[in-house]
Amino acid sequence: MTASLLDLVKTRTVLFDGAMGTELMARGLGPGVPPELWNAERPDAVREVYAAYYEAGADIVSTNSFGGTPLKLAAHGLDGRALELNRAAARLAREAAPAGRYVAGSMGPTGKFLTPQGPATEADLVAAYAEQARGLADGGVDVFIIETQYDLREALAAIRGARSVSPLPVFVTLTFNSFPRGYFTLMGDSVARSVAELEKAGAAAVGANCTLTSEQMVGCVIAIKTATSLPVIAQANAGQPVALADGTIGYSQTLEDYVRFVPAIVSAGAGFVGGCCGTNPDTIRAMVRVIRGEEKI
Amino acid sequence: MTKNEIYPKMNEAIVAGDREAARALAEDAVRSGLDLLEVVEQGYVPGIQKVGELWERGEYFLPELISSAEAMKAAMAVLDPALNRQNLGARIGGKVVIGTIEGDIHDIGKNLVASMLQAGGFEVFDLGADVKLERFIDKAEEVGAGMICLSALLTTTMMNQRRFIALLRDRGLRDKYKVLVGGAPANRKWAEEIGADGYAENAVAAVKLAKSFAGRP
Repeated sequence: MTASLLDLVKTRTVLFDGAMGTELMARGLGPGVPPELWNAERPDAVREVYAAYYEAGADIVSTNSFGGTPLKLAAHGLDGRALELNRAAARLAREAAPAGRYVAGSMGPTGKFLTPQGPATEADLVAAYAEQARGLADGGVDVFIIETQYDLREALAAIRGARSVSPLPVFVTLTFNSFPRGYFTLMGDSVARSVAELEKAGAAAVGANCTLTSEQMVGCVIAIKTATSLPVIAQANAGQPVALADGTIGYSQTLEDYVRFVPAIVSAGAGFVGGCCGTNPDTIRAMVRVIRGEEKI
Repeated sequence: MTKNEIYPKMNEAIVAGDREAARALAEDAVRSGLDLLEVVEQGYVPGIQKVGELWERGEYFLPELISSAEAMKAAMAVLDPALNRQNLGARIGGKVVIGTIEGDIHDIGKNLVASMLQAGGFEVFDLGADVKLERFIDKAEEVGAGMICLSALLTTTMMNQRRFIALLRDRGLRDKYKVLVGGAPANRKWAEEIGADGYAENAVAAVKLAKSFAGRP
């Protein structure tokens, strides 16, 4: 019997994984192909990425379902397969997970704005996330992670959707930008307000991912920690994408530079730590070393 | 109302994102026989510029930006036909073709840039998302645009911005258009490297850049 993640995080820092899309691209995922389709068409490649993160030392791997709401899949004409593709994403992760490790069902933004900025109603979003959550729960995830959300209202709708179909814990990360007045989402939700609302809506852990570098993430974690007693999640980007001389894309933070700020992220109060854009299994391996090193102290 | 009374109200309507007020004031201006080009430039444009400043300072966020752009559109929907009747085009910024580049379906940022360009006085031809490279050129040729704006959210599809410049060059049209690139993975260095004319980090910066190319303040 595996201990609950929420119990585990009380005893030590828990490691998430890093980026998924770029790992699939390295295995041949072409531009314009939704990564979720590979859960059905290239299950071995998806399983291989999961396994690489577990092998690197991640306690939790997030499923290849970031764009897996039916609203998002509709852009590729795949909305009718949402249930199947999410279930497959979770099953493959379950198969790859060694005993005692965890699977988080990734739920990213629908890409639709809520009224009045866009066409979507809250009911549309709740229904979309509910369907995705149903697939992920069927496939055997331990928790949901609603991530990279830039609109607090969408994140709240996602929580409602998940909770309407499953009793599993719901983790939420928003993506904040850094301003002189503090950290805000694209829609202008402050850290304090976001965290309070997410907690009230029943989130089991809250945090930030994407956009911020590992250096910037330290301040953001401090702000989140100040606003909540829930466990805090931090998954920073390795800086910004940059075009390299050979025509490929890299990220502005080197592995060493990225990992350098991990101890500060942990001591700022993040219980769940992982990577986002520009990170890979090597990043997670290095983070594990740093965090374990700390634990000896 | 005199223009000294009405211009500040127009300005306020845009800053507040009040679509109804923006439209009503424009109707008032048309009825009162005000100089409509001056109404645009001194009544409404300072409002949208103020919104841009508030956005850059982190006082305004996306919802406010969208509301203000919508208010601007509502005013222009009244003023454009009236100006056309006087044979005066308010779209003094020129014509812009914009779209998210092929292989990429992300359009939030692109829509916002299109909206703000329109609010900033440009005639905007929005081709949507996942737009084939050739289509940008065909449309620009068809409508006589001066600028082409390419959005890409993914590091993979960003490469198509480079391919687009090459295609433009192959067709002997490189110098005919100003090419602006944007999107999360793009930056100034990237624009320089691929030989684009400019890069803008956000919708407000895009309008500034486009205006500078159009030779406008």
